[in-house]
Amino acid sequence: MIPRPDADSEDRVIFLRDAKFTYESGVEALKGVTLVIDKGEYLAVVGGNGSGKTTLAKHLNGLLRPTGGQVLVMGVQASTRTVAELARVVGYVFQNPDHQLFCRTVHDEVSFGPANIGLDGPEVKRRADRAIAVMNLSDIRDRPPLSLTLGLRRRVSIASVIAMEPQVLVLDEPTTGLDAREADELMAIIRRLNDEGTTIVLITHEMKLVAEHANRVVVMMDGKVVLDSDTRGAFSDLGLLRRSKLLPPPVTQLAHRLSQIGVSKDILTPQELVFELTRGDDQ
Amino acid sequence: MQALTLKDVRFRYPGMSEWALDIPSLEIQQGEFVTVLGPNGAGKTTLSLLANGLVPKSIKGEFEGSVEVFEHPAPKYTVSQLSTLVGMVFQEPESQLFCMSAEEEVAFGPENLAVPRDEISRRVEWALDLVGLKGLNDRSPFTLSGGQKQRLAIAAALSMKPSMLVLDEPAYALDPMGRIELYSILSDLKAKHGMTVIVMERDAEDLVEYSDRFVLMANGRVTASGPPREMLVDPGALRAAGVSPPQMAEVASLINLRRKAPPLRFLTVDEAFAEITINTHHHSKGASH
Amino acid sequence: MTGFLDLYSEKDTFLHRLDPRVKLLAVALISVLAFILTELLYLVVLLCFILLLLVLARSSYGKAFFALKFVVRFMILITLLWPLFDRSGAPVLFSIGPLDITEPAVWRGATSAVRVGCFATLWYILMFTTSQRDLVRALVKLGLRFDYGLALAISFRFIPTFGLTIESIKDAQRARALELDKGSILRRSRNYVSILVPTIVYALRTADTLALTLQSRAYGAFSNRTYLREIRMRASDYVAMTVVVLILLLPALAKYIYGVQI
Ligand SMILES: Nc1ncnc2c1ncn2[C@@H]1O[C@H](COP(=O)(O)OP(=O)(O)OP(=O)(O)O)[C@@H](O)[C@H]1O
Ligand SMILES: Nc1ncnc2c1ncn2[C@@H]1O[C@H](COP(=O)(O)OP(=O)(O)OP(=O)(O)O)[C@@H](O)[C@H]1O
Ligand SMILES: [Mg+2]
Ligand SMILES: [Mg+2]
Repeated sequence: MIPRPDADSEDRVIFLRDAKFTYESGVEALKGVTLVIDKGEYLAVVGGNGSGKTTLAKHLNGLLRPTGGQVLVMGVQASTRTVAELARVVGYVFQNPDHQLFCRTVHDEVSFGPANIGLDGPEVKRRADRAIAVMNLSDIRDRPPLSLTLGLRRRVSIASVIAMEPQVLVLDEPTTGLDAREADELMAIIRRLNDEGTTIVLITHEMKLVAEHANRVVVMMDGKVVLDSDTRGAFSDLGLLRRSKLLPPPVTQLAHRLSQIGVSKDILTPQELVFELTRGDDQ
Repeated sequence: MQALTLKDVRFRYPGMSEWALDIPSLEIQQGEFVTVLGPNGAGKTTLSLLANGLVPKSIKGEFEGSVEVFEHPAPKYTVSQLSTLVGMVFQEPESQLFCMSAEEEVAFGPENLAVPRDEISRRVEWALDLVGLKGLNDRSPFTLSGGQKQRLAIAAALSMKPSMLVLDEPAYALDPMGRIELYSILSDLKAKHGMTVIVMERDAEDLVEYSDRFVLMANGRVTASGPPREMLVDPGALRAAGVSPPQMAEVASLINLRRKAPPLRFLTVDEAFAEITINTHHHSKGASH
Repeated sequence: MTGFLDLYSEKDTFLHRLDPRVKLLAVALISVLAFILTELLYLVVLLCFILLLLVLARSSYGKAFFALKFVVRFMILITLLWPLFDRSGAPVLFSIGPLDITEPAVWRGATSAVRVGCFATLWYILMFTTSQRDLVRALVKLGLRFDYGLALAISFRFIPTFGLTIESIKDAQRARALELDKGSILRRSRNYVSILVPTIVYALRTADTLALTLQSRAYGAFSNRTYLREIRMRASDYVAMTVVVLILLLPALAKYIYGVQI
């Protein structure tokens, strides 16, 4: 299930080999991370506050350059490319949409990226229109982004990144500050992007989202990857999770407790658990 | 005694057509742990600002109705006076910590209240200890972790010896363990110090175990209020109200759909474990193949 | 960013322990002394004394080097430029086109450079050995209004946060393929708008929460607010103060009473 770093594959979009990073202040935020991400994956990166998730993500599009080891994007050394070049391949949505939004209309905002990568007018418009449609923003395309609610601002900021049509989309805690409905809508859109072939890297503190959406989980602790597993196996080592400041979703916690009556521990959703529990009843 | 009493309260931000708050009646008892749940724009932040008088004293707008804090009519007091009754913790930890050390942050309130020096000193130690930051007196807030920052903001409110704490989405951006740690500190404050705690949140999950009561809000109105058992057992209704239901409630309701037996009603993993193991004796045999 | 702006490093030297008010006084008086001295030789002696203090402050080599780099550059600049603007005196050493470089001007340039070196190093020592909060406390104690002291403290506190936010905003725009200094002037100014607008939005939001927080913490409730930490002069502080006063007084007496050329 886990791709082996030494395997050479066409599908490999990102390859970190023993990547290390130390901030100027002396904080060692990455202490040798090896990670392969294949095309079409839906990868969740989880871990406690300060474990290095954002630092890792910023390496994927060259915002940070490793101080040791290597980062390859589409088989090319990221260090030989500018951020602007990498941005066409790896889209990065920042946690706080207000760090991005500055234009007078949603449409201008979404056109900013495509225009920056030097596309011509009609192509910029085509991509902006498409991104606006994908993120369900057509009704508000002429509104000023800064006057929108947080949920909509977040969607505009994602639209402004997917308008560059990257193959990999990195989302840093995209649901913080959203309510249940907004979060559900957003996750459905991300799901669809993934179905259409975009590789998703989701950084989040919400284990329920991870269980429901991701197909692979990377757990970070103290600048290192301490677990890299398919989602089903990700919540099995409770001790490791606890040390990483994480807790499995409640339903998985319950499954662990119920394993003494034969329920399997790798339950991810309420539906799965109830299916297992009531299987006997139907017979 | 009632910690917070709202009667016929309405508040409208300048230039807005809708009431941001429209609450005919809301009562919170002393020593209660209340979670206010609501989607974005429901009025949670506005309600929390009302509790210590910032609305309408500092944030002006059209206001009517009566607000009483521990049976004192709020309009008669300044925000400073109310702050000795109501401690506020805002959502964003970064912008509410403005001192150059943790100790100064916690001392700031009592200093303003002209509390004598050795009393301030005692309160600083007491408050830092309560939130688990003992010994970090000289650390700059800038260098603290997200969870530590939020706990420092709580300590800074506690040192003014309020009888009620109001926290607006305090677990924002904290990791799962950080959230649990934060809520258990609040729960301890209630249990050991009789603190009234009001938490504004949009996800019920982590608060189920700690809350005495949930208040549901939407569009500035209180739509329902009651103990967790009454409020949270219907996941569909919660979803419709725009808040995430606890996962255990979903499990219970899914089981109930498939069984004719009396409905299961659990909200926490512990309760679920107990009820399911009692109710599925036959299953344990069937599954031990 | 943080390291750049906050030069203070925690150490346990007598300079660190000194009452910040005494340190402020010392900086002021020794600066006056540097003004009074006009002989290059004495100024060099003073500079050596100040550098000795820098060593005693046990500032890390990195920080000291970083700080001194600026001082030295500035001193060299003054030495070189002074004679170009001050063309009085004789003899003329040499001429560059219409410019006559005179010998006294060269000396005066060097003297000014050393004097500036003294000032700058003094300030650095103050910053190395005094935390920002002690500095603010001392200023308030010396009569600065508490409001201004608080504003100053808040600025100090938020400088690093602000720096990080601006970095993050830049990164967020670079992730949308923004290249800050590429393209036409028009393009570039638009590029800067993309950094400026989010920065202003952030600053306004922060200021908003800050205002609410200050009120929630009873800011301004009483005019006779108390202070948890008082700075108090100890015997050693008085000794240091006396020494500093003497350091100024003796040369001043020599110069103005006894007319010694210094
Ligand atoms: N710009 C910076 N300068 C110096 N240190 C930094 C910087 N950004 C992050 N760090 C430090 O690097 C470490 C990793 O931080 P990072 O932001 O990558 O964590 P994270 O996993 O994203 O945390 P969170 O869940 O809180 O977002 C932390 O110790 C943090 O304090
Ligand atoms: N400063 C303001 N000016 C005008 N309208 C405001 C202001 N603050 C809030 N509102 C409006 O008042 C209503 C209630 O907002 P409030 O912030 O109290 O909701 P909330 O439940 O805290 O939402 P969130 O979950 O987004 O924080 C919303 O319709 C909002 O748009
Ligand atoms: Mg992060
Ligand atoms: Mg709010």
